[in-house]
Parts: sequence; C-alpha cells; structure tokens
Amino acid sequence: MLQEFSYLAPTTLKDLYALLKKNAGTAVILAGGTDLLVEMHNNWISPKLLVDIKKIPQLNDMSFDRKNGLSIGATTVCIDLINNSDVKKYYPLLADAAGRIGSHQLRNRATIGGNLCTASPCADMGCSLLALGAEVELASADGIRVIPLKDYFTGPKKTQIKKHEVLQKIIVPFESANAKFGMRKLKRIKGHDIALISVAMARTEKFLRVGVGSCAPTPVVTAPLPANAKPEKVKEAVMKVVSPIDDVRASRDYRLFMTGEFVDSIYAEIFNGGSK
Amino acid sequence: MKISLKVNGKKYTREVETNKNLLHFIREDLGLTGTKEGCGAGECGACTIIMNGKTVNSCLILAVEANGCEIETIEGEAKNGKLSKLQKAFHENHAVQCGFCTPGMILSARALLEKNAKPTVEQIKEAIEGNFCRCTGYQQIIEAVQDASGQLKKKEGLKRA
Repeated sequence: MLQEFSYLAPTTLKDLYALLKKNAGTAVILAGGTDLLVEMHNNWISPKLLVDIKKIPQLNDMSFDRKNGLSIGATTVCIDLINNSDVKKYYPLLADAAGRIGSHQLRNRATIGGNLCTASPCADMGCSLLALGAEVELASADGIRVIPLKDYFTGPKKTQIKKHEVLQKIIVPFESANAKFGMRKLKRIKGHDIALISVAMARTEKFLRVGVGSCAPTPVVTAPLPANAKPEKVKEAVMKVVSPIDDVRASRDYRLFMTGEFVDSIYAEIFNGGSK
Repeated sequence: MKISLKVNGKKYTREVETNKNLLHFIREDLGLTGTKEGCGAGECGACTIIMNGKTVNSCLILAVEANGCEIETIEGEAKNGKLSKLQKAFHENHAVQCGFCTPGMILSARALLEKNAKPTVEQIKEAIEGNFCRCTGYQQIIEAVQDASGQLKKKEGLKRA
C-alpha cells in the first residue's frame, strides 16, 4: 500500500483552480502517474492530497490552426500525440520524441504536461519542444500566464509553476510547422532507458534551433540561429548552452563529445535532404 | 471510495482505499492473481494489463483512477477452459520458464498482434521492450509470437528444444 492521502478528481477547470488555491502547498497534481506513483512507491514524497486532472475535458484536448499553431492539452498522453494527424503532418519531431519515451505501457499513460512538470534534466519532450519554440500556459484562480518553455525550467525538477498553478496546455507556434528536423537519444541499451543525452534540431525557412537534454541542470536550447547557419556556428551555439556533469550514467567529456557528434550528424541529415 | 469497473467482461463494484494501486486491487480485492508484481515502479512490465484497449503498468495506476474502465487481464485470455492461440504458442515454444513475466508478455504480444497480424522480429522486440524476462533470454518468446502469427517454421522451434 502507498502512504495514505486524499484523492479528488475535479471535472471543471474552475473547480480545479479553486482546489489548488485552497490547498496550495499540500495538493499534488496527478496526471499519468508514471513519475508520481514511482516517487510515492519509493517513499521519496508523501503528498497529503492528490488532485487527478484527467477528468477535465479541456486538458485532454489537442487542436491545430494556422494562426495559433498546435495546442496540446496537458493530459494528452504520448501515444495520442504520436497518432495525431496534425502532429504527424506539421510537427513530426514531436511524434519522434514522444515515441522515444519509455515503453508502450508508459507511452500509453504518461502525459506531455507531466513530462514537463517532472522537469527532469532528461525530460524527453523538453529538447524537442524547445527546438520548436514552444510556450506553456500556466493557470490558476488568479488568471492565466503564458511563458516561453525556455524560461519555464529553472533547475533539476524545478520550474516556474507556483503552488496554486497548473500547467494546462503547451503551445507550439505555427512558424515551427513543417520544420525540417532530426533527433538523437543516446541510451545505454536499445530498449526502454533514460537518455544519457538527447539532441533535437528544428529548421524552418527563417530559423534553426537546437534543444539538448541531459546536458545541463535543465533541458536547454540555443537562441534562434539563421536558417542557413554554418555547422561550426551551430555547434558553437550548442556548446554555449550546455554544461554537463559527470554522473553514474556518463562522464562530462563523453556527453560533450556525443553532443557535438549528434549536432554534426543531424545537421548533415537536415541539410542533405530534410527530415528523415 | 466506491468504484465500478469491468474486468474480463465481468462488472465489479467495490469499496476501495484511495492509496491502493490497481495491481493490488486486481490481485487482492478481485482475487485475480495472474497479474504479477515485479518492481512496482513501471520498469519490468510483470503487472501489464489492458485498460480501455491499451497496455498499461497496473502498478502505476490507482484503483480509484480505474473507475468506469474496461480492463483485461491474463485470466481473460483462455476461453471456456481452452488456451488462446498465444498461450498455446508460448507453451509449445518453451517461452515460459519461471512464468513470472508470462502474463504481461502475453498481453503485450496480444496488443501487438491486434494492430499488426504479421510482425517482424524487430517489431516483436520493440513491442515487448517494456516486459522483462530474466529466464529465457527472450528468444523463445519471440519465436512464440512468430508462431502465434503463423510465421514460424515448426522445425526451427523444435530444434532449439
């Protein structure tokens, strides 16, 4: 048995905001549970109140239009992102990234919002969404604010979300639609494993951005570079934003070396004929 | 909290503690002990069940979250006392040693075959990457799935045995 806690599952956003406001500091949001229940199972955390947000229809919504781009509700699970026709057509990088998360069992349950709220430095969706210039919508009883994803992560497992707020959607701008892309995830084994490093590159007609995971305290991204930036310039920009450490999974040197290798190989792939 | 759900086609309504996971609910409250607990943390896949048509780790879901859901476990695999095609293939190809991973393996394999009737070896490997087996080295399991999808030449399997 897990530790004892109360469980509430509001069905409207209004009820959710009120609950979070009233219980700020004690309430923990439950989405897919694939990180949260592991933390509870291991007794790393013992929340007093779990607020299940999967019963709120708006949070499970995905939509696309040419003005606002792609909007991904926070409780959208990986497999639904992978199979979404707009994602496949306009943002295939996201389907590629989501397909690299965990196993089938986890992809069927883990949510995109949850991946960003756990905010692990190796968050699989982090580097791809950063490369596409995504924003997150944080909401509470006090109102809604939208911030760039690059400013959202503040440290390992730390974000800008306030105690009474909920991350309710992720917005990927239309200007990133149809970007040419490439992604690499370095793992110890071929199957279900977390990343030693991950690199995602997206190039539109106007810009090129590289997002990197497991190579700094948070997923990081380069500033937008010109679409025709030379490979040396791209690598230079990447090296400016990464700051890997030595840990049990890989050394700092190995991470830096493989990041450089991946930037080169993805660059060549993108410039020699587009997305794979 | 009171929950109602369907398991292997049968409807159950039970009072359940909020801090009980779905795996323990299925095993202890419903007495369906075919679903196993390995790591309890979503790594090993021994607790794999099918929930609303998708494979999930039942250790990472609260029982209360399954309210209103349709669940299939290994107990629903054999019909009228007869093994399913997959179960038969696992049996005949020596894909079961200690048997602990088998219920989860079979449900993951079933989810694969429902989407893809003739999977390649690579696709089979990919489909069971969330299910650990520490006995067989996976080879016999892969052969069993090939067999169940009519893709194994009988002699190949027997030579190994």
